[in-house]
Amino acid sequence: MDDETNEVTRRDFLKTAAAVTALAALPPAGGMPAMLTVPSPGSTVNYGIIGTGTEGCQLLSSLTRVPGARCVATSDIYPPNQKRGIATAGSNPQLYENYHQLLDRKDVDAVLIAVPLNLHTQMVLDALSAGKHVFVEKTMFFKEEEEKPIREAAAAHPKQVLQIGLQRRSDMLYRIAMDMIKDGAIGKVMFMRAQWHRNNDWRRPVPDPKFERLINWRMYREYSGGLMAELASHQIDIANWAFGAEPLSVVGTGGIDYWKDGRETDDNAQVILEYPAGRKMVWTSILYNTHYQFNEQIMGDRGTIEITLGKGLYYREPAAKVTQGAAKENWWAGATVTELADQQGSPIIPEITPPSEGFVAREQRFAREWLIRHGYRTMPSNDAWYEELTNYVASVRDGKPIACPLELGVADARAVIYGNRAIDTGQKVFWPKAQG
Amino acid sequence: MRVALYRRKIGLLALLVAGVTVATGSSGWPAARGSSQPLHAATARQATAASQPLERYEASHQSMGTEFTVAAYGRDPKFLAETVEQVFEEIDRLDGQMSNYKPESELSQINREAASQAVQVEPNLFALIQKSLQYSQETDGAFDITVGPLMKAWGFFRGQGRVPSAAELDDVLKHVGHQHVKLDPERRTIYFDVPGIELDLGGIAKGYAVDRAVDILRENGVASALVSGGDSSIYAIGAPPGEQGWKITLRDPFDATKPADVVYLKDFSMSTSGNYNKFFKLGGKMYSHIMNPHTGMPVEDMLSTTVFVAGTTDSDALSKLYVLGVEGSRKYLATHPGIQALFFVPTGEGQEFSRVLLRSKSFDLPPGVVVRIEQ
Repeated sequence: MDDETNEVTRRDFLKTAAAVTALAALPPAGGMPAMLTVPSPGSTVNYGIIGTGTEGCQLLSSLTRVPGARCVATSDIYPPNQKRGIATAGSNPQLYENYHQLLDRKDVDAVLIAVPLNLHTQMVLDALSAGKHVFVEKTMFFKEEEEKPIREAAAAHPKQVLQIGLQRRSDMLYRIAMDMIKDGAIGKVMFMRAQWHRNNDWRRPVPDPKFERLINWRMYREYSGGLMAELASHQIDIANWAFGAEPLSVVGTGGIDYWKDGRETDDNAQVILEYPAGRKMVWTSILYNTHYQFNEQIMGDRGTIEITLGKGLYYREPAAKVTQGAAKENWWAGATVTELADQQGSPIIPEITPPSEGFVAREQRFAREWLIRHGYRTMPSNDAWYEELTNYVASVRDGKPIACPLELGVADARAVIYGNRAIDTGQKVFWPKAQG
Repeated sequence: MRVALYRRKIGLLALLVAGVTVATGSSGWPAARGSSQPLHAATARQATAASQPLERYEASHQSMGTEFTVAAYGRDPKFLAETVEQVFEEIDRLDGQMSNYKPESELSQINREAASQAVQVEPNLFALIQKSLQYSQETDGAFDITVGPLMKAWGFFRGQGRVPSAAELDDVLKHVGHQHVKLDPERRTIYFDVPGIELDLGGIAKGYAVDRAVDILRENGVASALVSGGDSSIYAIGAPPGEQGWKITLRDPFDATKPADVVYLKDFSMSTSGNYNKFFKLGGKMYSHIMNPHTGMPVEDMLSTTVFVAGTTDSDALSKLYVLGVEGSRKYLATHPGIQALFFVPTGEGQEFSRVLLRSKSFDLPPGVVVRIEQ
């Protein structure tokens, strides 16, 4: 990279961050409590966002629909993102190139951090010590040794919200799926399979080569945990949720086998995570075939839940019934019943289908009715980003429980870090025993 | 290559099934084959099981586009589970052979090739096709395994239902008719004398599968079981403990939750054809999936037909007496023995229907068999 340029580069951002961090380590000048350190229902949450790239603007855009929240400040170092952030917020926020200036503002109650992974921890620490409520994108942190300082900072600021951006935790579809799992709908949960497949180079367009590392930070190990951190993190979180546990060990493989374009992070990654009681999760990601896209298949001895883009399907396992002694037999007969709901998969959020007298539509209705009879009826949900940010605002303002608190983020980040270690070393990696 | 491999697999499975039959025919249990090992697994299991109370095992399995259910009584639920699993494997094997939804099935291969050349057929499938054609001749086409193209024209094959034009029907009917299917029993080959013929065993394969299930259950010593193929093809082995027969409620043709008649069945089969589970409505008219192969139109003035005979393959095929109606069936039953048929006929008054029960002129139930119909 060209360090002599006057343009702001990723390197500069990092240097600035380091310099100001050193300052921040001094007795906190800007460590004043923010306005909303105690729940204040009815008030407006003023927030600032650090990082207004693709993910940051996704958050901003959803936040514009959340009542009771106002964007007063943005921070980014890349000019096109700066413009995009201000435009997306739509509330005429103040732009800061140096995020510390954003944190210094006393009227900022809460911040959202959506920057490259290697910057997460420092910014979380700075924001917490500045008295801000914090929403940090997943993966929560980059290196194993970052867990401890984040825990300590969170413990030192117990009244401030720290929410991790694993948005599936707020997604109605996943919440219903987990309720079903808890209710025993799929029996003993033993296995999960998930994948995130694409057929592209996973790069963003770079208008000027000097921005390459800034824009395509996901390609470089200095900033990124690659596919594990950016994609697996979402789906491992689902496994942690479904199994109600953290993994015990992970094996994996991967490589740069197709997109040999100077990238440093793998273009394919595969891991097998082992959980307590022999439960396992198999995860794959490739960047050269998109047919299976992404979904999660959670398997128990009584059924399967498959969650894919905006859609959840439930399949019953045929279950045998064993009873002692003679039963009161009463069988029903009639014309052939066509294939039942279980093998077709029943939508776990029943869709509204147009009225039709066709038999396919009636089979779908049968599936819906089956789910409703079993108590799985719900309303269609909002998008997950909207839900997680509504939750964040409610946690900050009203003291509502945090949808994805520190422990979940830590568990997820560890799995990403150990998964990458397993891929890099070719060794099975075990979780440290007796944590906390 | 793929087809060849597939057929070899079927051959192997058929051999295994045959092996089971031979073993049972000679002695009944593997332990009785002169084995001197005192603790043979099966012997041990039987010994333990004898002291245990009777258990009921029930399981369901999706196959042939419907759900098969088996309930069986025995002393060892684990042994029942394994037996029922074997039943389901056999049904899946038959589905793989006889499905017209699966392009790799033997039946699909026949449909693809038999118009251009004679195709050699696996013996059991050949026998089933032979039996189907015989029923077609005897029922004047009321039962006809060549109605597939007609079903497609009406949108009953992976579709939502549609009304074909008269011209379209005329055209389709050129490719329908059992008389176009030519069998050569010596060479065990099949040939279609016009192109476009498609065999669809949907009206008989479920019954055949139920009969095969019954064979396997009996071979394994199960004396009390009920096998249901999609509620429409049923066989009762023996009776539940302490009962005269298996109680089976025949549904009301207008309401699946309302009982119409109650049947007690023992060592006999029953199959139902009805217009209510596969139909579509258009312009206030209801079009059912049961076709008259002569007119190409859905059959009217019949709600359901349930046929009781000794074997389920036969009851399945004969439930298409539906197409002949009450009067046509009366003629048929005059010359064919051992059949009982229950018709639900619309009265034209809302959701009312009348019952007609017909019986073959010659109708003697073998000893022990129970077929009791209570309204």
